Amino acid sequence: MISPAHRRIVAGAIAGFLGALVILFLPSGITANPILVVVSGMAAGMLFAAALGSRPLGPGAALVWGLGGATVLWIAFCALDSVMSGALRGGSMFDVARAHFAAFVGFSLAAVPFGFVVGTVGARAEPGRVRLRIARALCGGGFAGIVGGWAFGKWMEQAGFFPLVAGIVGSSSARVGVTLHFAIAIVIGASFGLLFQREIRGVGSSLGWGAAYGVLWWFLGPLTLLPLLEGARPVWSVAHAAELFGSLVGHIVYGIIVGVLYALVDDFWRWLFERSDPLNRQAEGAGVLTLSSIARGAVASMVGGLLFSVVMIRTGELTRVAQLVGAHSSVTGFFVHLVISALIGASYGVLFRDEATDDRIALAWGALYGLIWWFLGPLTLFPILLGGQFTWTTVAASEQVPSLLGHLLFGIGLAVAFRALERRHLAHLFVDARLRKRWLRRRRPAGTPTPALFVFFIAAGTLIPVILS
Amino acid sequence: MRAQTLQRRAALGFACGVVCSFVVWPFAHPSALWIPLLGGAAGAAYVSAAPRESSGWLDDAFLAGALALPFWLILEIIALPIVAGGQPAWTAAGLRSAFGAFTGWLFFGLLLGGSANRVLAAAHLARATVPDVALAREHVRVLILGGGFAGVTTAVKLEGLLGADPSFEITLVSDANALLFTPMLAEVAGGSIEPTHISTPLRASLRRTRVVRGNVAAIDLERRHIVLQADDPQSQPRAIEFDHVVLALGSVSNFFGNANIAQIAYDFKSLGDAIRIRNAAIAVFERADRERDAALRRRLLTFVIAGGGFAGIELAGALNDYARGMLAEYPDLNPADVRVVVVHARDRILPELGSELAAYALAKMSERGVEFRLNTRVRDASTTAVLLDPAEEIAAETLVWTAGTQPNRLLATLDVQRDKRGAVIADATLAVPGNAGLWALGDCASIPDLVTGGTLPPTAQYALRQAETLAYNIRAAARGGALREFRFAGLGALCVIGHQTACAELRTPFGGRKLYFSGLLAWLMWRVVYLAKLPGFDRRVRVLIDWVTELYFPRDTVQTIEIS
Repeated sequence: MISPAHRRIVAGAIAGFLGALVILFLPSGITANPILVVVSGMAAGMLFAAALGSRPLGPGAALVWGLGGATVLWIAFCALDSVMSGALRGGSMFDVARAHFAAFVGFSLAAVPFGFVVGTVGARAEPGRVRLRIARALCGGGFAGIVGGWAFGKWMEQAGFFPLVAGIVGSSSARVGVTLHFAIAIVIGASFGLLFQREIRGVGSSLGWGAAYGVLWWFLGPLTLLPLLEGARPVWSVAHAAELFGSLVGHIVYGIIVGVLYALVDDFWRWLFERSDPLNRQAEGAGVLTLSSIARGAVASMVGGLLFSVVMIRTGELTRVAQLVGAHSSVTGFFVHLVISALIGASYGVLFRDEATDDRIALAWGALYGLIWWFLGPLTLFPILLGGQFTWTTVAASEQVPSLLGHLLFGIGLAVAFRALERRHLAHLFVDARLRKRWLRRRRPAGTPTPALFVFFIAAGTLIPVILS
Repeated sequence: MRAQTLQRRAALGFACGVVCSFVVWPFAHPSALWIPLLGGAAGAAYVSAAPRESSGWLDDAFLAGALALPFWLILEIIALPIVAGGQPAWTAAGLRSAFGAFTGWLFFGLLLGGSANRVLAAAHLARATVPDVALAREHVRVLILGGGFAGVTTAVKLEGLLGADPSFEITLVSDANALLFTPMLAEVAGGSIEPTHISTPLRASLRRTRVVRGNVAAIDLERRHIVLQADDPQSQPRAIEFDHVVLALGSVSNFFGNANIAQIAYDFKSLGDAIRIRNAAIAVFERADRERDAALRRRLLTFVIAGGGFAGIELAGALNDYARGMLAEYPDLNPADVRVVVVHARDRILPELGSELAAYALAKMSERGVEFRLNTRVRDASTTAVLLDPAEEIAAETLVWTAGTQPNRLLATLDVQRDKRGAVIADATLAVPGNAGLWALGDCASIPDLVTGGTLPPTAQYALRQAETLAYNIRAAARGGALREFRFAGLGALCVIGHQTACAELRTPFGGRKLYFSGLLAWLMWRVVYLAKLPGFDRRVRVLIDWVTELYFPRDTVQTIEIS
């Protein structure tokens, strides 16, 4: 009888084998001996599966772990190549990474079989795990997919992308493209529900899974499946990826919307059918928790907002922010910026109140949230609110690099301050044993794939725009 | 001990950071000798924040690896260029040129996270994520007697003041397990609000206060403990010790020694009383409906309310509306048979309000069918009649008593000074003179009014504010601080007298000028003010739904308890 640990290692080997096939048969740019690639893939799969140990693992969790591992593997691969070519320092390393962008896509796609094989075996080995509610996953995910698809579709319409999508069925009609786009959006949304239902503990983490899932679908969709379905060979070059940069931002925004909406639908569903059950009654009402989290988030945002304002003052961005209210003064811009900070901070409070179990994780969530707002803010909402259009281009991304740093600083400052306020609140709250128990029950448990999410999304979200620009 | 552990953790983190930082060197400038120092500092900070319930070395490796990216951005893109006297390199070109260092710091993070995890586990130096909260060995025991506005608010305010301070232990003893919002009690009797919607469970609204439901049998100020009444013969009386005891026992009805009235009249103090009055009204309507004797029917449908103060008038208005509304479901009953009679000993009702408002209330209620007997007292009562003084007999089976209250009888057993009502005399700090650690507030206390020079009125408005002062003073007394005196001028009063009609007398904050409102506007003010004051968000929602429902559907006439 094979033990669950050994079964997982065997599954890792199979997943590694399948991942190696992805790398070999798709244009990953790796031209090594196929046997060496397969053996290396199987060894990597086995080692990574063994490293994951006996933690709870479903396909969604294993997929995210795989994506995190793929990111680290790719950077190690670039570093190895740099060592061999003697180009470790400064910008030389960047050129190597840029040259190996296709390998990043390949490694990330190799995480898909890893997620499915290791995750399925991992889920089977854990009989006590919460049951997957398929109807909820499909309905909630499908609905979230429609809304996310609608938002993404706005850019596709502007960029004339629909006829390209229609090419999948041999058509060039925009209407066919729209229909296909929504069908795909629903499928991806539903698959998100199936993969991540058991990983989601709050809207904040779901937002993170959604953003990472969006990046993965950029690799999988326009870079891989779309050309394959149209009978062409995929191209994973930097130049081609840069052409599709708008689609990357669109996928991330789509993922964010799917993540947030799915979590809300899921939460509403559980509230309607599970939490309303008197047997599941909690000591502190949801309304009190939400209001106090909003207040703490808004207060904490002042720290992040002030840090960000230093960047904005140095780059002269405050006058642009003032244009949101029809003004041109940097003082007005500063106050508008603080108001926006407070709103985003309040949303952070609601979304991430149960996610950060210690200061390190709080910092990582903050960085991730800041990065998400870089995609949502200066690249998406800001130009639209100023009466313009989507600026999902590498040029715009390149211009907004200071803002990227500002958003990261904002997120970190916000998260650190929020954590400090939350700790103070918890110290007060934990005098009540019931609330202490409840918090322990609600907070994110150990062993979830959030660290891998941080590595994948923070690295991909920051580096890809720079590599492609 | 804790500081030592933190120091050891930081030292280990520093060592891990220094060792791991060597991986950065190949990617950085060879002369960057500060890297081990910085790595050590980053390691110390990282390990200091690491919790006990570590997920495993892989989790920590990935987490620290992810944190390396913002660390790299802040260090290499912002800090180092500024230290070097230049501008932050926050351009795409700047990021590209620092990419090598990113790889180095990423590997640093991965190694630091993984190695620190193992080192901390080996050294048993992990830290708890959740702060441990335990009561201090030497703590101050505060015992609050009474679960009304005064007692519960004292507990709430103490909780707010003490926060997570474990050196205080608060216990509240109450004969009910919920705080009753008495301003809406008449609406329960009048069937417009569900009974439980105006009561907030004490255990849900108090966080760190231990709630004990029970009746106090004795208070021993000498030995500083109270004794609870035993629930059944087998159980031993339970004693609760205290350092500070708060008398917030409220008041009970005063029947002035008339045993017949005490036996026959409905009290109007508790939720149970309101439920009984509502059910009694339904029961007499049912009986009257099948009764053929006109005199008996008229007797059944007559409700006498003794007392024309706030409680009596609000109840009379609510009961009048309820009874007359029920007639729609009893077509055989004659509307003229329904009588609601208010008996009041003074020459005008509502002595708490100005005379004009009182006259308005009298006129409006009379218009709606309420009868008044002013300058009249209830002398006696039987199961079929209420006897008045001056001599009059009202044939009625329902008598509600709101004509007098007295402080809780338990107070009579205490060796303290009391006023003629029997209320415990306290000073302006709410302390009972001559008894350290004994405090009194609310209905059961006689407290000097520093604004008017008299004594404070025994109303909820004053009790709520006294509780705030008392909480402060208990904490101050326990810590050796100065006590505050209670000073409050009152905000005014609101009284509902019938359907969408109320009287309001409000005092302006500066100057104390009085403003008078009546009718619909006053009624809206009443609803807004009291809905906002109702404890518990969920209760407010429930009451609001009740009020909206009442606009579209008739009041419920389901009899829920048998009235003998």
